[in-house]
Amino acid sequence: MIKVKKVIALILASAFLMSLLVTGCTTKGTAPSSPADQKSEPRELVVYSNRNEKFVQALLDKFSSDTGIKVVALHGANPLQIIEEANNVRADIFISNDLGSLGYLHLQGLLQESNPNGIETIPEFFRADDNAFFAISVRARGLIYNKDLITEEDMPKSVEDLFDPKWAEVENGYAITRGGNGGMLGHVSALRYQWGDEKTALWIAAIRSNSAGIYQGHGEIRRAVGAGEHTFGLVNNYYFHQQLLEPDNNNVGFIYLDQGDGQMGAVSNAAGVGLVKGGPNEAGAAAFLEWLLMPENQAAFVGESLELLINSQFSAAYPAETQPHIVDFNSLKIQDMPVKELGNYFEGTKELIQASGLDLDLK
Amino acid sequence: MCKKRKNTTKLNNAYFRGVGKQAFPTTLLSFQKKWLDTWRGNPPGPILLIFGLITGIIMSIPIVYVIWRSLSAGAERWIRLLDTRIPQLLWNTLSLAAAVTICAVVIGISLAWIVIRTDIPGKKFWQWILALPLAIPPYVGAVTYIIVFGRSGWTRDLWLNSPWLTSTFGIYPINVYSFWGVFLILSMFTYPYVYLIASAALRKMNNNFEEAARSLGMNTSQIFWRVTLSLLRPAIGAGAILVSLYVMSDFGAVAMLRYVTFTAAIYFQRAGFDTASAAILSLVLILLTIIILWIESVSRRKNKYFQTAGTHRELEILPLGKWKVPALLYVSIIFLFSVLLPISVLAYWSNIGIRMGALDSRFFGFALNSLKISTLTSLLCMLFALPVVYLKNRYPSIISSAIDRLAYAGYALPGVIAALGFIFIFNNHLPALYRTFYMIVLAFIVRFLPQAVQTSEASISLISPRIDEAARSLGCPPWKVLLKVIIPNMLPGILAGGALVFVSSIKELPVTLMLRPPGFDTLAVRVYFEAHEAVYHLAAPAALLIIIASIIPLRYMLSKY
Repeated sequence: MIKVKKVIALILASAFLMSLLVTGCTTKGTAPSSPADQKSEPRELVVYSNRNEKFVQALLDKFSSDTGIKVVALHGANPLQIIEEANNVRADIFISNDLGSLGYLHLQGLLQESNPNGIETIPEFFRADDNAFFAISVRARGLIYNKDLITEEDMPKSVEDLFDPKWAEVENGYAITRGGNGGMLGHVSALRYQWGDEKTALWIAAIRSNSAGIYQGHGEIRRAVGAGEHTFGLVNNYYFHQQLLEPDNNNVGFIYLDQGDGQMGAVSNAAGVGLVKGGPNEAGAAAFLEWLLMPENQAAFVGESLELLINSQFSAAYPAETQPHIVDFNSLKIQDMPVKELGNYFEGTKELIQASGLDLDLK
Repeated sequence: MCKKRKNTTKLNNAYFRGVGKQAFPTTLLSFQKKWLDTWRGNPPGPILLIFGLITGIIMSIPIVYVIWRSLSAGAERWIRLLDTRIPQLLWNTLSLAAAVTICAVVIGISLAWIVIRTDIPGKKFWQWILALPLAIPPYVGAVTYIIVFGRSGWTRDLWLNSPWLTSTFGIYPINVYSFWGVFLILSMFTYPYVYLIASAALRKMNNNFEEAARSLGMNTSQIFWRVTLSLLRPAIGAGAILVSLYVMSDFGAVAMLRYVTFTAAIYFQRAGFDTASAAILSLVLILLTIIILWIESVSRRKNKYFQTAGTHRELEILPLGKWKVPALLYVSIIFLFSVLLPISVLAYWSNIGIRMGALDSRFFGFALNSLKISTLTSLLCMLFALPVVYLKNRYPSIISSAIDRLAYAGYALPGVIAALGFIFIFNNHLPALYRTFYMIVLAFIVRFLPQAVQTSEASISLISPRIDEAARSLGCPPWKVLLKVIIPNMLPGILAGGALVFVSSIKELPVTLMLRPPGFDTLAVRVYFEAHEAVYHLAAPAALLIIIASIIPLRYMLSKY
């Protein structure tokens, strides 16, 4: 009986101690800094990001070591979390892989105007009128293919080709991402701008039923195509760059879609940052924006993602395997939808994708 | 006389407390009568009841939110989902849950019987090692199966390099991204729920029943089917519930294998912030759970089993004889697929990862986060489980069984739904705690309390109410009975429950994914992200650490339970 009492007392005591310990940790650690702290040096910055953590964490670490400001990051965040937290703002900065979602947040009045030094290096085409968000890197959509399974001539060359069910017949089929993926959302928005909703819905239905694999992210697709699990996959061009770096399974090529005369041009999108309205660390956020616009840090934003820099003169460093395959963004035929227009399409696109069922599919 | 006086004092007290300013004594009296009737004349003490009620209220937050949210979602959304999504999701979820549950029960019961009741060589080793898959999260298992059997896995390479295989069977036939892949993987990593509960029940089983059966001329197989199995009935039910609810609430493995069940769909809807649709799907899933719990309780109500402790006698060990080799083979195959294969793959990749410097300070930060969350959750769950179980078993009434049902609902409320509710409540009403560590712990309690309740209940059901009655008749008040008689007898069960909760918390994925504060990743979250990017050398050490950290409580649980 004594032993039993001891055990119970131990449980109670340790529960109590644990909660004390944890309280101590949280009040020290993640509690938003008080207004008094703000006036002096910025100490902390909360970043939400929906870009691949591999690229973003390196950038944030560099920021911390350059400025001494501690960064607390939430990777894999959805832009709509900013809307949900509108009355309880936690984030200072949102880093997005899709300019459309930043545009949408801005439309909802959740981003805040900014005027950091160096903003003039970003072309107006790639930033909001009040600079509440701006882009640093660009990418074009296209098809990564496995050269062991198909030749460049045999590949589809236009996004319209994917209406054709014959592409379901290629060896191991082709792969797309889930409709919830930011890149796919941007792509569908661009098609709606080009074609209208009806044709776009048919296109989604076609790729939904003809594709052999539906994945959560593009990283999985590039690896699957590299390994021959699928003949080709719909991704952003920099995933092709990344696959070239793999020690094996790197015999892949890339098709920029719709480059011919009279065709719409490749769908493009951009990645960038937005300044969240009413964030807890205003000074830290301002410091981050100015820091990011420095040429070397714009290059660091691209980092391992191997995207294309809007300011290609700041030259992101590409590895030797990738360098020969880098196509200058200006030499591509790009669809004429302004990327900052994407935000106006965001909501309608989500509805269209939901209606199609692609938002939940995986296979 | 005495009783009457007591009643009047109570009435006066109630009056002065101002409980019912306009209430006439008659209404109070009738209320009191009703109250007594509810408890069949035996109401529990106020502390016990309040504790139980608080548990019930916390558990019901997500359910209330989900119901409210889904009812206000609009008819159009309901119709769209009912037409397009729900039938397919129902089929995916129910077929998987049924198949995995049956398979897990068969494997779990057979293994438990073999290693407890027969003279299989290496008995002690098997008893312990076969519970080990409990420490391996199914999503980790899924990753290792993808590495080995995936579309470009090790066996494919082997297949393509073996001309005779390709020429006889054609192209590589294994597809882990299929119903059968998910089924096999989930079965391999959920059977221990049944195995452990059945082992515990087998150990506690009294030999008297079997001896009686044998003296009536039954042979071993008749005894197994008619006596042992029916005495195992509560254990099978408890295990089957745990497994089927686990399958319905699993996110990691199905997401890795790209098989969409309700839980995955809810997660993706929520990840796209279509909260209304997520709520609708959640409501359907809650209904499914209620049906399953109802079926179980109906089938159990027919039978009640008590064992008297006084005449307990050790069970005899049955010689396997000619069945020794098949039994060994069977046990080894399960061991191979549920323990050896995943652990070897993880060890292989961890070795690569550690040499590449995976164990940095970041890694230890994640490990500490995991440890903090799991420890606190398991301690709190042990505390909360007790009143729920005790109320239900000793004070049966509408109220206590409602609390009990709520406690279970938390489990079928897949973490995803618990997370939905908590995000809403905390974001809107408790902003100070929003996106803090506590939000995750509370959601974990909602999610894992049922495990503590289940194991505690399995052990209280073996303590006859006569023992309580004896203590009560000797003048012990109910709380003292609980503390001095029930808890000591249940302690192995309670601690085993705590250990189970610890193991479940440390591997929990979807709740942490949805609720984690910025900068607060756990090992499980790391495994998920790294494995998704196929960065196996970073995923493997984290996964291995989860497994190792789970082994200690698991060991304890096995030695006591």
